[in-house]
Amino acid sequence: MKEVTTGNHAVSYGAMLSRAQVIAAYPITPQTQIVELLSNFCATGKLKAKFLKVESEHSVMAASIGASLAGARAFTATSGQGLALMHEMIHWAANGRLPIVMADVNRSMAPGWSIWTDQNDSLSQRDTGWIQLYCESSQEVTDSIIQGFKIAEKVYLPVMVILDAFVLSHTSEVIDLPDIKLVDKYLPPFKARDMMDMKNPRAFGGLVTPDFNFELKYKIQEAMNQTIPVAKWADREFKRILGRSYGIIEAYKCEKADTILVTSGTITSTSRYVINQLHAQGKKNVGILKIRMFRPFPAKEVVAVLSKAKKVAVIDRNIGYGVGGIFCQEVKAAFGNEKKHPEFFNFITGIGGRDVTPKDIQGIIDYTETHKKPKEDIIWVGLRK
Amino acid sequence: MQSKIKVIPTTLKVKDLPPTAISMSNMLFNKTGSWRNYKPVYDEKLPPCNATCPSGEKIQGYLYLVKNNKFAEAWQLIKQDNPLPAVCGRVCFHPCEVECNRNDYDESVGIHNVERLIGDYGLRHNLRVKIGIKKKQQIAIIGGGPAGISAAYHLARMGYKPTIFEAERQLGGMLQYGIPSYRLPKNILQKEINSIIKMGVKVKTGMRVGKNLFIEELAKKYHAVLIATGAYKERNLDIPGEEARGVIGALDFLHEANLPRRQAGSGKKPTISKDVVIIGGGNAAMDAARSALRMGAHPKVIYRRTRNEMPAIPDEIRDTEEEKIDFIFLAAPVKVITKNNKTVALECIRMKLGSADSSGRRKPIPVKGSNFRIKTGTIIKAIGESPETSFIPASLLKDNLVCTDKWGMTAQNNIFAAGDAVTGPKTVVEAIGAGKRSAQAIDKYVRTGKVTHTEIPEVKPVRFEQLNTAYFEHAPRVSMPHLEFKQRVKSTKEVYLGYKPNEAITESDRCFSCGVCNFCDNCWVFCPDMAVIKKKNKYEFNYDYCKGCGICASECPHNVISLVEEKK
Repeated sequence: MKEVTTGNHAVSYGAMLSRAQVIAAYPITPQTQIVELLSNFCATGKLKAKFLKVESEHSVMAASIGASLAGARAFTATSGQGLALMHEMIHWAANGRLPIVMADVNRSMAPGWSIWTDQNDSLSQRDTGWIQLYCESSQEVTDSIIQGFKIAEKVYLPVMVILDAFVLSHTSEVIDLPDIKLVDKYLPPFKARDMMDMKNPRAFGGLVTPDFNFELKYKIQEAMNQTIPVAKWADREFKRILGRSYGIIEAYKCEKADTILVTSGTITSTSRYVINQLHAQGKKNVGILKIRMFRPFPAKEVVAVLSKAKKVAVIDRNIGYGVGGIFCQEVKAAFGNEKKHPEFFNFITGIGGRDVTPKDIQGIIDYTETHKKPKEDIIWVGLRK
Repeated sequence: MQSKIKVIPTTLKVKDLPPTAISMSNMLFNKTGSWRNYKPVYDEKLPPCNATCPSGEKIQGYLYLVKNNKFAEAWQLIKQDNPLPAVCGRVCFHPCEVECNRNDYDESVGIHNVERLIGDYGLRHNLRVKIGIKKKQQIAIIGGGPAGISAAYHLARMGYKPTIFEAERQLGGMLQYGIPSYRLPKNILQKEINSIIKMGVKVKTGMRVGKNLFIEELAKKYHAVLIATGAYKERNLDIPGEEARGVIGALDFLHEANLPRRQAGSGKKPTISKDVVIIGGGNAAMDAARSALRMGAHPKVIYRRTRNEMPAIPDEIRDTEEEKIDFIFLAAPVKVITKNNKTVALECIRMKLGSADSSGRRKPIPVKGSNFRIKTGTIIKAIGESPETSFIPASLLKDNLVCTDKWGMTAQNNIFAAGDAVTGPKTVVEAIGAGKRSAQAIDKYVRTGKVTHTEIPEVKPVRFEQLNTAYFEHAPRVSMPHLEFKQRVKSTKEVYLGYKPNEAITESDRCFSCGVCNFCDNCWVFCPDMAVIKKKNKYEFNYDYCKGCGICASECPHNVISLVEEKK
């Protein structure tokens, strides 16, 4: 069914189609519409879930953890400061190996107080053991929530589905809402590992001595290793049953590219527009590598695409202070043991919700093509110097 | 099932370990109850409605039953304490609703409206109460008003066959002859009385003390006698001209106005002038004014203080105002103006309010030279009543009231007294409560020869602050359907029409169930240790594992769970 919907409501539809059973939520701009629509679904019976209003994001995740431990499919959504407040429980969810799916609407961290987008909130959670999927369209948002549960419930790690504030969360576009019967076929009811048994009650999250905690952390990395093939399988299954596919990364028009832009989120779709125009003009030496899955980082897949290029322009809507763009660091690290690597250009742009326009992307392409090497470690795009 | 803590051998490998930090074996050996400093206990408390009800109705109990669509059970519960629920549902001043904790939230629960429906349900379905083992002792009850009927009913439940001696032709007292039928239809009263008579109560009407009935004789013939003669002697105005034709007492007026035509002494309704004036601010004044209105008059009510000090119950004042009856406040009568011994006008004086008097209300003080006259042919006095005590042995009296201990026993052992004769004029439900208590005392007395009683310690009812109102939704009180003004003045039809069963269920669901468990499951849901065990119709704590965190107590909406310090 075609539906005009915002990125936020696309999240809600995704959770509804996934038949989430427990939704604990605390509203925060720009995420609020997600829980508004979900609470409406719950109130009207469109979604048979327990909707919990809690008093903070910390409790949101605590409640989601409880629900997931008890065997319920748990969903929530947050943003920026809310995600930061959740941080302790974010670790708990991953260490507890709980297949919770959460949408994070990227919001710049305060101060300066902001409700606009950049990726520093979600990227500050990159090492917590959560799988991260960055989306560029409303359709991808809905589909990624559904895929998120499929992946999470296979590898027992939580999944964060990430979308840009306002640029995606509050803009409307037509999406194809999958038939819930097909979604049911793709995503059968969650059958939790038999962990919580009232007749044989065990202790959760208790003290683990150095004798064994090391091994438990090892198991998380083991699960992360499994995640890449599992995510590819989940995407293939999605294609088979629901007709769409995204890949964990996507090489766009890279066949003849010697310069490749590395993008994530909505900057990908802006870049597609620019690249499409260039290709239409016959200029086919520029392509895009979209990174959809950031955790686990698909290093092998990234290297396979980028090693064909001479120059790689990584566009980061985030900054690891003291280092540079976080995506750029990860991309460079992926080439760590390779003998040969392309020249890396690190562009930082759009921080704090500043618009990233086709003109900016064109500027990035122009700079990369006209420079043999970057003049600076970080090339700031649109900075008021 | 229980296991002991195990030391995990370090030979275990990654694959042997659980996926996350979960104990390898179950934790039942770990009796966390030993950590407890405070122990939760199910400790039901007294709801304020029940605490306030003069006849001790278990109001929360019957609201819970009605909520669950159990009307017959609700009727049985109410009848344990009150023989006249259909009557009280209509005329009681419902102090329960004043005390209802819901007042602090939105509006009190419409208890009397539900009570009325339960009473009517019992009448419609001819429900019967269970009668105890037959008892031989003979008991005489003088007076068939609310106190006498209540005592007779409770004695009948215990298995006695008491005899009521009534001066009038019919039982009911003030209910029959004082309260107008637009507030209490006669057929409802009659049905409720009949159902009590059917329980084995003997009734002798036309028996007036001092005329054809004598207390001392009864005391000799019967094992016990209850004086429940009420308070119906009207107070006088003590002003010139009071003896004139056209000046009548409110009770006499209501008595006549209430008689069915064929029974009225004179064979017709009392005649009043269109410009009738009623003096007083109590319930009798309101009833007289509203009855006069229904007889085609344009009554005026004169009261010496202001609306704030009126002793009538607020509902009655509101209804009277709704019927557009004129009030003249801060005015007191000084003289009845007569012509040929016929009333033609009432001279009044303006009053102002001084400082508070012994009743706590501000004392009215006449304003010199402010006299004024109201043209009227009929003046109805409604300034209060007192018990008629001329026929009662002086040894039983004190300050013109029958003197008893708190169980209703007078100076003479087998003579008891209850109701307005003891307290002076009070309300129906207080008389019903007094009748119930005296029935219990009489039962004890005739079986054992004395009335012994254990002192019941005063229990504080649950207050609003003690409830966890997070679990209550705001909900408006279900309004009571009633006749509009135009329909009211044309007839003596009942003004209030009564809840429908679904309305009563909705209204009962608003009850906070203060201090009483209504099986909401909160304790069971919230206990982090699974230490609340749900059984049929109750919960229990598993103290082996209850850590005493107190979450159950704080999440109980009804203040049923108390925390008691552990003595170690």
